[in-house]
Amino acid sequence: MSIESLLASVLEQSTPLVLAALAAMITLRANILNVAVEGMMLVAAFSAIAVGALTDSAFIGFWAGLAGAIFASLVFSTMTLRFGAGFIVAGLGINLLAAGGTLFALERYYNSPGGLRPIAFPDIWHVPEGSLSFIPVIGPAIEGQSIIVFLTVLAVPACWVFLYRTPTGAYLRAAGEDEHAARSAGIDVVRMKALAVTISGLLAGLAGTQLAMDKLHFFLPDMTAGRGFIGLAATLFGAGQPWMTAGAAVLFGFFGALGDRLQAFDIPAQFVLMLPYVAAILALALARWRIHVRNKPSKL
Amino acid sequence: MRSDFTDFLRAVRGPLGAIALTMALGFLLVASISDEPVLAYRELLFANFDSLSNFALFLNRATPLVLIAVGITFAFRAGVFNVGGEGQLFAGAIATTVFSIVFSGLPAIVLFPLAIAAGILGGALLGWIPGVLKVRLGVDEVVVTFMLNTIALLFTSYLVNQVIRDTTAYGAVSWMVPEKIWLPTIPGIPGATSGFIIAAVLSLASWVVLFRTKWGAEVRAAGTNLRYAEAVGIAAGGRVIWAMLIAGGFAGLAGALYVLGIGHRFEQNFSPEYGLVALTCALLARIHPAAALFTSLYYAMMLNGAAYMQISTEVPRSLVDLLTGLLVLLMTARFTLRRRSGQTSGAF
Repeated sequence: MSIESLLASVLEQSTPLVLAALAAMITLRANILNVAVEGMMLVAAFSAIAVGALTDSAFIGFWAGLAGAIFASLVFSTMTLRFGAGFIVAGLGINLLAAGGTLFALERYYNSPGGLRPIAFPDIWHVPEGSLSFIPVIGPAIEGQSIIVFLTVLAVPACWVFLYRTPTGAYLRAAGEDEHAARSAGIDVVRMKALAVTISGLLAGLAGTQLAMDKLHFFLPDMTAGRGFIGLAATLFGAGQPWMTAGAAVLFGFFGALGDRLQAFDIPAQFVLMLPYVAAILALALARWRIHVRNKPSKL
Repeated sequence: MRSDFTDFLRAVRGPLGAIALTMALGFLLVASISDEPVLAYRELLFANFDSLSNFALFLNRATPLVLIAVGITFAFRAGVFNVGGEGQLFAGAIATTVFSIVFSGLPAIVLFPLAIAAGILGGALLGWIPGVLKVRLGVDEVVVTFMLNTIALLFTSYLVNQVIRDTTAYGAVSWMVPEKIWLPTIPGIPGATSGFIIAAVLSLASWVVLFRTKWGAEVRAAGTNLRYAEAVGIAAGGRVIWAMLIAGGFAGLAGALYVLGIGHRFEQNFSPEYGLVALTCALLARIHPAAALFTSLYYAMMLNGAAYMQISTEVPRSLVDLLTGLLVLLMTARFTLRRRSGQTSGAF
């Protein structure tokens, strides 16, 4: 096992997790626990593959993936903000609808309930092999990564700038911190929440598109496999701060990549696959425990 | 009496409206892809009652749903958003299976209650983890229960593939549990597990416990406002953890009864997402244990009906998954004509 290939696989595994975590983070700052990231990712993955195969254009497939996830996020925000549905319930509804809807489409229109595997699928832009080999260690790890990996690296500071250095970001955080105070200050709380959900749709769309278009070039039912929830865990662990959140997501991605390596040894695959989920629960408990200890009144 | 009746109507209006709207949307969808939408819907809704064996399968399908949904009402009433029904179900099923296989030498009268207890404990353990994390540390239970679902599924997959796999059978299934501890069928309905009777009785008993005992009132108080409940002298944290133990225990019992009454072994793919469907049933029942019995029956009808529908009209059975998503999306929404909430002042 070389360090370069481990690094490359950490990058690959982390990218959808970081994007999912940022998607959940933006809504968390508007005081919405967004469990719908999972469903939005699934819609994005499906529409990216379906449209990409249809038009034979990676470019159109990419945008179709984003559009699909944003559409799902609009359904989510309409149901919750306009019609007063509960955020968690409606989020679960989005997830179920995404899973059921894509499966229905597979069975009905593609006649293949097992998944959608186009014979030929256009590639999105990847860093060409051998172009960066002059940089030690990092160069080979970056080679072959897709454009979305770079967008993800940019997305973290972009989220930070948006939240902390723009007026809209400040309004959004205010709407999340104290709804009534924000409203009396003249902030349109509902619009801020809707904006947060839409941005989260965009980020979840990138995550789903990366998942489907980077290496695999096919869609499987339930291919997101709980990544939206791992992203949510990373957000809670990172307390909604962009850098902490991204760091936690990379950590979970590292466990995933490590899991792939450990399979070479005699550890049953199931235990290895469990690693990121166990890590997420332990990390959440640890993060809360730290706060708990800190807030404890000291003994006299 | 009359006001009771209007109260009842008011309570069921929302869920029935959501069901009606979903079914209507589904009908439009079926009509757009099939030449025989009426036949498709007849199969979906009524094929369950065409024969005694279909009816038995319907009751078998309902049994785990009722138990998990009733368990979830305890969790929700205690303020815990438990989406871990699936994991708790798997934990219960695998615990019962492993225990029955390992101790198959014990006499049935001893083995049977112990195997059931193992299932309940397995599920309860998986309910205890998110409960205690929430109460003691404030860890979000939605994320934890979801993670535990995946962990439980992977763990059972390991056990059934590498440890207790029936090497003579095809697929990931365990050895059979000893025949002496199989649950009897309901007299008169061959093939229907008597587990359904247990589930129905427990659903009514749960209503009594939650709404007609001091303990139930304390659980609900803890769920409504934990700090207030503590301030008036209820050990609210303990109540919440107990409610999660019961929620997990019910789901574990569902797994145990499935293994002893229906599958007679552990199968890795025995659940068509019972956990999530039961969550849907519990929410549709407005977190009411007795109403959950009826919503679970409705969903059992839909799940089995989908298969009959696919056989006779080629409408894909995943239609029901799609409709479930729609239903969950719609069921807590309030479709009243009002101004945009952004323009109204005051709380919403």
